[in-house]
Amino acid sequence: MSASAIRKLRPWVQVLAFILFIVLLAAVGRVSFLPADLFFRLDPLVGMAGMLAARRIVLPMLIGGLITLVLTLLLGRVWCGWLCPLGTVLDWVPSRKVGPKEADLNPRWRQVKYFLLGLIILAAVLGNLSLIFLDPITLIYRTVVSAIWPALVAVISGAEQALAGLPVPGLLDVVVEVDNFLRRTVLPTTQPVFGLSGLAVLLFGLVLALNAKRERFWCRYLCPLGALLGLVGKISWLRRATNDRCIECGRCARVCPTGTIDPQKGYTSDPSECIMCLECAPECDKQAQEFHGHLAPALWQPYDPSFRQLLVSAGAAVVVVGLSQVIPQDKRTQPFLLRPPGATDPDFLSQCVRCGMCIQVCPTSGLQPSLTETGWAGIWTPVLVPRLGPCDYSCNACGEACPTSAIPALTLEDKRQKVIGHAYVDRNRCLPWASSRSCITCEEMCPVPEKAIQLEEVIALGPDGQPITLQRPYVVQERCIGCGICENHCPLSGQAAIRVYTATDLGISQPWG
Amino acid sequence: MSSYSRRDFLRFLMTLSVAGLSSYLSGCKTMESTPTMKPTEGVNALIGASTATNQPAAEPSAGEPTSTQADTETGAEEPTSPQGAYLAVARGQAPGPEELTRRAIAAVGGIEHYVKQGADVIVKPNICNAYHSPEYASTTNPAVVAAIVALCLEAGAGSVRVMDFPFGGTAQNAYEMSGIAQAVEAVGGQMELMNSLKYQEVAIPNAKALNRTQVYADILTADTVINVPIAKHHSGAGLTLGMKNLMGTILNRGALHANGLHQSIADLSTVVKSHLTVIDATRILVANGPTGGSLNDVREMDTVIASPDVVAADAFAATLFNMIGADIGYIKFADQLGLGTMDLKSINIEEIDA
Repeated sequence: MSASAIRKLRPWVQVLAFILFIVLLAAVGRVSFLPADLFFRLDPLVGMAGMLAARRIVLPMLIGGLITLVLTLLLGRVWCGWLCPLGTVLDWVPSRKVGPKEADLNPRWRQVKYFLLGLIILAAVLGNLSLIFLDPITLIYRTVVSAIWPALVAVISGAEQALAGLPVPGLLDVVVEVDNFLRRTVLPTTQPVFGLSGLAVLLFGLVLALNAKRERFWCRYLCPLGALLGLVGKISWLRRATNDRCIECGRCARVCPTGTIDPQKGYTSDPSECIMCLECAPECDKQAQEFHGHLAPALWQPYDPSFRQLLVSAGAAVVVVGLSQVIPQDKRTQPFLLRPPGATDPDFLSQCVRCGMCIQVCPTSGLQPSLTETGWAGIWTPVLVPRLGPCDYSCNACGEACPTSAIPALTLEDKRQKVIGHAYVDRNRCLPWASSRSCITCEEMCPVPEKAIQLEEVIALGPDGQPITLQRPYVVQERCIGCGICENHCPLSGQAAIRVYTATDLGISQPWG
Repeated sequence: MSSYSRRDFLRFLMTLSVAGLSSYLSGCKTMESTPTMKPTEGVNALIGASTATNQPAAEPSAGEPTSTQADTETGAEEPTSPQGAYLAVARGQAPGPEELTRRAIAAVGGIEHYVKQGADVIVKPNICNAYHSPEYASTTNPAVVAAIVALCLEAGAGSVRVMDFPFGGTAQNAYEMSGIAQAVEAVGGQMELMNSLKYQEVAIPNAKALNRTQVYADILTADTVINVPIAKHHSGAGLTLGMKNLMGTILNRGALHANGLHQSIADLSTVVKSHLTVIDATRILVANGPTGGSLNDVREMDTVIASPDVVAADAFAATLFNMIGADIGYIKFADQLGLGTMDLKSINIEEIDA
């Protein structure tokens, strides 16, 4: 099969890989024909940084990452050109077409990705994963999970509601059947809401918008995973080469999405930058380019990382790690920092790769990407916000889904014992305490077999001045696991009158920093 | 991309807005036409507390469903006085929950009295959470539910749907964890997810606490609704029984808690009616309800109570916990509203000890 013929397969492979990405995303926690974290396993940057920072081997990630590295060793950056869902989206987004002479911006821009790669890896060596959110797979997964998917769910629900409201006989039943089917298979039971969806979309939008500057701007200049695969690509076996039949017509350079076909160097290309899309193959009618096996390393380019650059990255990594310590959270625990069951800071920050799988799988959408709770160093790590959704007593999905075991995979029995936090009643707002009105919702909801919320019966003056019997809730801290269903169901509007606080050993707020 | 012009875009926007507007308008219309029901209808539909109390029906004939063929042409949604006891209690270890259920229902007129040929039947057990298997007595015994489903199908029901709206965990998980999904499907019933699209705003005239609420539409239109609560402890309500179980048919339960739980439950019972209540007291939860989770709080009672009058059934179930109906606010209020009677002395009770 000629390169031109193989090239025709690429859009199909891309679409299939993208569909697989979305299906695995929508079906996480439901089906298991393939591991739901397949794309994270295959992402060697997430694997490498995650394992380095956590200082432990995560076997599925090691194997998956090696598969991609071996694939790159054989065929070059096919991951980028054929499989990466972000790359695929970038191919779908219109981009500026330029002549071969200006195909590349200043080549020095290509160094940025190596700088980011060095920064992420070296920070990981120092135990920090704050910048892993720049990994392309986590970037697109997080955006889809926290913004695009919930928006789609809202649109589908809205359309169903509109249809159900139409005065057409029998239509409601059809809509309900369709909805039931969708909820059983892909849609969440409740509408997910996320505080950080705007920021995710902004970052994602910026990556797409850069296409207006140059095609696949992200892949050429910024992508740290592309940088890692590019370094391996330097010694990849299959590469594009030109021969003396070239008449320098420039057609290959014009179509190259990464602008690596360089007119100044006789229309040769750099295998570190080439994503093996084969778009150039049908352009050449002189048989002047070949895709052959090579064993010697490719030429080192001026923009390729130097020792000096490595030092710059190392310096920046030290700064990042230093800055990540300059946060108030390091001095005193945040009062409402609730992690998924079994995850504990500060280790969690070195283990979580900010992918968003736990957030996607959480049935109550109580797990939220954090912005401020853990300082900037913990941005996009999951926190439980019980007012938005409690930790379901019948669920252990986040630990099962977590690709790096940053949230440990616990049996349901074990998870039910894990203390996430401790609930406290706000007696200044609680209905029976503050308003002499009866309400026992929190106690009713408490799922612990011997209820952590107890009611003390008192005779108090009612709103009308007459004595009434009231049941006032209080929390038995030793039994409370901090699941937050009490806070979630508290009927007060706005802030609940019972709130889950970060658990401390004393069960009371930490008296020293 | 290039073929998609500005005009196309505007046309698309126009279509969208027209669609949006029409759905909005149609939404308004359905709001106006929400069904309202008078509380008196509630009384009539319930086999009539007063009628049955005042004129005790014919001799109860336990285990003889054939003796209850009267009133076949009467719609199942308004059954009249049964040719059986007003309330039946079946007790005993030996027969098992399924047989107890069958005997109790037979004693209150037999299932044919409540379920007509081709009827659309909804069975509403208590599947309030996805936390524990049925031994923990936090959800209705699956054998009791399955027995009712089987009875309905034997009586020629067109469809038997079983549903609840759990507060803990997803409905699907709860259906499975409770064992009810497996048991119901094994005898040919269907588990239905209570889809939020199907709730309907209902006004409750003469309500004292709950004036409006959103109710699952099919509960209001089904030919027969069979309420199958499990009897268990509940701190706020004292006990959760039949009327409390009907809270599972509405969307916003939080509002009830803050506005006087007992009166709200009684108010709700004026519009959400069950034609037959079967209280599962094979296992009861005596503390830490409604969620449970400890077998220490479970008592084996091997008892099933059946009555077309939910108030009477609840009042009787209260006695299993050494209480009386008047001890439970919602039972007292429902009695006052005339939804049924909590006066157990005034009714014909058949006790079957097996």
